[in-house]
Amino acid sequence: GKNEYDLLVIGGGSGGLACAKEAAQFGRKVAVLDYVEPSPQGTAWGLGGTCVNVGCIPKKLMHQAALLGSALKDAQHYGWNISQPVHHTWSVMAQGVQNYVKSLNWGHRVQLQEKKVKYFNIKGSFSDPHTVRGLTKAGKETVVTADNIVIATGGRPKYPMHVAGALEYGITSDDLFWLKESPGKTLTPFVLNVSLECAGFLTGIGLDTTVMMRSVPLRGKICFTIQQQMASLVTEHMESYGTKFLKRCFPTKVEKLKSNRLQVTWKNADLNTEETDSFNTVMWAVGRAPDTKTLNLETIGVKTNSETGKIIVDASEATSVPHIYAIGDITEGRPELTPTAIAAGKLLAQRLFGQSSELMDYDNVPTTVFTPLEYGCVGLSEEAAVQRHGSDNIEVYHAYYKPLEFTVAERDVTQCYMKMVCLREREQRILGLHFIGPNAGEVIQGFALGIKCGATYPQMMKTVGIHPTCAEEVTKLHITKRSGLDATVTGC
Amino acid sequence: MAQRLALQRLLSLPTRGPLASHRRAFGTSAGRRSTFNVQDGSDFQDRVVNSPKPVVVDFHAQWCGPCKILGPRLEKLVAKLEGKVLMAKVDIDDHTDLAIEYEVSAVPTVLAMKNGDVVDKFVGIKDEDQLEAFLKKLIGA
Repeated sequence: GKNEYDLLVIGGGSGGLACAKEAAQFGRKVAVLDYVEPSPQGTAWGLGGTCVNVGCIPKKLMHQAALLGSALKDAQHYGWNISQPVHHTWSVMAQGVQNYVKSLNWGHRVQLQEKKVKYFNIKGSFSDPHTVRGLTKAGKETVVTADNIVIATGGRPKYPMHVAGALEYGITSDDLFWLKESPGKTLTPFVLNVSLECAGFLTGIGLDTTVMMRSVPLRGKICFTIQQQMASLVTEHMESYGTKFLKRCFPTKVEKLKSNRLQVTWKNADLNTEETDSFNTVMWAVGRAPDTKTLNLETIGVKTNSETGKIIVDASEATSVPHIYAIGDITEGRPELTPTAIAAGKLLAQRLFGQSSELMDYDNVPTTVFTPLEYGCVGLSEEAAVQRHGSDNIEVYHAYYKPLEFTVAERDVTQCYMKMVCLREREQRILGLHFIGPNAGEVIQGFALGIKCGATYPQMMKTVGIHPTCAEEVTKLHITKRSGLDATVTGC
Repeated sequence: MAQRLALQRLLSLPTRGPLASHRRAFGTSAGRRSTFNVQDGSDFQDRVVNSPKPVVVDFHAQWCGPCKILGPRLEKLVAKLEGKVLMAKVDIDDHTDLAIEYEVSAVPTVLAMKNGDVVDKFVGIKDEDQLEAFLKKLIGA
């Protein structure tokens, strides 16, 4: 055709790279644009997107650092002679993590080269539906034309612009993982997966950490539990392990002190007072905004959701412009997860160039929040199941269990909990599984296959557990919420 | 006493022989000049591609453990050759395009370049004997 490339992918993250490499397998001429606009604090990074650079990867590694700290404390009970208290050096961890991330940046670059995908480090914007132009860092203009274009630019953390000093003095997750020096005493408003995970590992490595929350999660009210039941358990655990929670508070201003510390002032909605404290770091967790501002979508007619700003796509990832597609965090109504972006990207490439018609299945996507006590889940939450089928038509099996490893270590198991939401009718199909405990991601992964295959409660009960594990408790779930019986189970 | 005299005589030997080059490896002008960090593409063109002497190019990265062992080992041996071979160091994060152009995929990757052409190459860590043979081949060939 008259266009230079068969496929142009804008955004070199999880979705974009997967789509580009898959398309190249079909012998197509493919190009990828990737560009990282530095954060307000000046942080930037290489190829690979959010997951590799400022998301999943560094987060999980730092979570691991914190878990190792706990393990060192447990070790004494198991006979190890370790002098307490044990100290953590941020810069050693940060360098290790940052070096690994850089090796991934390089790995992605090499992969593009090996798969013959052309790479441009430019910030592109549409000048017409088949043309994207951009400037390199050196200011040189490059024009790329393509038959098909996939937008996969992802998102960036938002700042609470109404809070004075938020932009000048605060950081976000974009900056946290690249800090060379310890963030010190940290405040993170508000409660999102990212702030809980970050506050979790910051506490775990010994830093004074506070999470600010606008509303209190519902506690222990079993009759109308939602995913919030799991959220409460997770935050309760964090609180008992040293993370401070400022409940029903919201910040009004951030000022810098002569000592370089940050003075944060907030309103306490319960007491109707104004409070203040100083921190070394304020990390905002107020959500992510889709990275569409500089794409120039309006001129070419790609429709976005007026509220979220995300690109509206149909089941085939097509936007309102026929040959322009979008995948990953940038798309409306899709999970903000790496595996779904990758899968969607690959399937899209297969549909475009490989004569496939398979669409991405966004149902029953398993996921895990890597807080100190992890929460993994797949399928419907209890609330969603009630909403969809009615509370009379679902059965919730649950249990408070005790990880064996925690016993000798004398660890608190109060929040180690799991529940399985099933249909009540004949087959008793499993709608959702929720697990709080160590290695939640590893536990849930296998069960995701079961749910995908339409597993039922009777089938689960016929599945023999592996002993001694935490996962085996899933195969033994038998106490229903409906019965009102005490859900505490013992191992042997 | 005899030992001390012998040592004194050794130390006053002229700059030739095994001791001499060993001293030279520790930051003397010859050692410093024979190894350099590539600044950019045109620097690579000038000092490597257009170099009258053969050049050993060490592609390395901050995050690469084996690179930190190979680099100094190679530098030491290059310095011993008293300017017969030069060594160019390229940090692949700073000069990604250059590394990709020369088909580097894993690090460390070491190229032997003569008159602008790649005449030899190895990937990964090598011991001193292997490196000496590599360098010898480059000067000899």
